[in-house]
Amino acid sequence: MSGETIDNYTPIYDEGNMGQSSKAIEDKLFDEIIGHIEDILLEDDFHAIQKNFLDNYWDVFEPAEENKLIYTNIFNEYTKAVENYIVNYLQKVIPHFNINTFLKHLNNKQNELEGEVFEVLSTFTDFMSFKEMFLDYRAMKEGKVQDLSYGISITSLKSCTNDNNSFG
Amino acid sequence: MGLLTVLKKLKQKEKEMRILMLGLDNAGKTTVLKRINGEPIDTISPTLGFNIKTLEHRGYKLNVWDVGGQKSLRSYWRNYFESTDGLIWVIDSADRRRLEDCKIELYKLLQEERLEGASLLILANKQDLPGALSASDIAEILELPSIKTHHWQIYKCSAVTGENLVEGINWIVDDISARIFYID
Ligand SMILES: Nc1nc2c(ncn2[C@@H]2O[C@H](COP(=O)(O)OP(=O)(O)O)[C@@H](O)[C@H]2O)c(=O)[nH]1
Ligand SMILES: [Mg+2]
Repeated sequence: MSGETIDNYTPIYDEGNMGQSSKAIEDKLFDEIIGHIEDILLEDDFHAIQKNFLDNYWDVFEPAEENKLIYTNIFNEYTKAVENYIVNYLQKVIPHFNINTFLKHLNNKQNELEGEVFEVLSTFTDFMSFKEMFLDYRAMKEGKVQDLSYGISITSLKSCTNDNNSFG
Repeated sequence: MGLLTVLKKLKQKEKEMRILMLGLDNAGKTTVLKRINGEPIDTISPTLGFNIKTLEHRGYKLNVWDVGGQKSLRSYWRNYFESTDGLIWVIDSADRRRLEDCKIELYKLLQEERLEGASLLILANKQDLPGALSASDIAEILELPSIKTHHWQIYKCSAVTGENLVEGINWIVDDISARIFYID
């Protein structure tokens, strides 16, 4: 608790009893976490998760409009694996990392969540993108397409800003 | 709720709703879905898995999930409950024989914790068939007025003629938006 009176003029209910300095600390930690997540998205180990799923299940997915019930199991497993990887990583690199605190901070910053990292993260929970990724991979495996690029474009973070709906 | 689910919610730009369409097999769920999406309805075969359609409706983005309703598939319904804003329960109004089964399945769903907040639209479908029961008969047989846990409404309709489908969808979208988005 500091005796600071500099921001006395701000209404006290504004930030709860959070002083300016703890807000600054929170922001810094938040940016740090986001920076780590950006690193994760570029990691080979992280890409290996996606590659494993694709290799294990590509032949389950069929280019038909109707979805098989099994897709849902695979999808749920996939999002869980991605999420666990991210959370475990953060726990390793940030002392006392607390996911619930982080989620709370995310909530507070709802209107500031701009940037590619958030776009990419939200594709992991999109079922249709997921299915598309498998169908693209399948087409590649079956030699129907020449292009070897596939999947949700986590490898090309820098070039995917304008086409959220196309993959590869 | 995990990190990715929270992020997805926070990042939703458009006003989105997740609508789950269930009912016994042969009720007309897939036909309803294709009809409201403006697709041909003459080549629909029984659903063994599930369909998803994204519809734009009055400024909302509706993600509609249609899951197969055969007896052997009903235990999988629970995999689709999460984050459901609205439930559309479709009934073959001419299939009197299975109304009791239909009632049992509906009431099972209403006890599901994850469907607690969902608005419930009941479509008394196939009204174009001569033997179809009226919406009020069905409401009585299914004891709909006894439902206190959910906002509900029943509409008679026909997926074949298209009668009253839009009215039903309007109701559920309005009901959900009044709860979630506090329209002014
Ligand atoms: N006459 C009539 N037939 C319908 C109507 N809706 C669906 N059907 C027919 O009922 C059968 C089952 O429809 P479907 O959409 O596959 O039912 P689902 O199992 O609930 O998805 C199909 O032969 C449809 O053509 C309707 O409103 N009127
Ligand atoms: Mg069907």
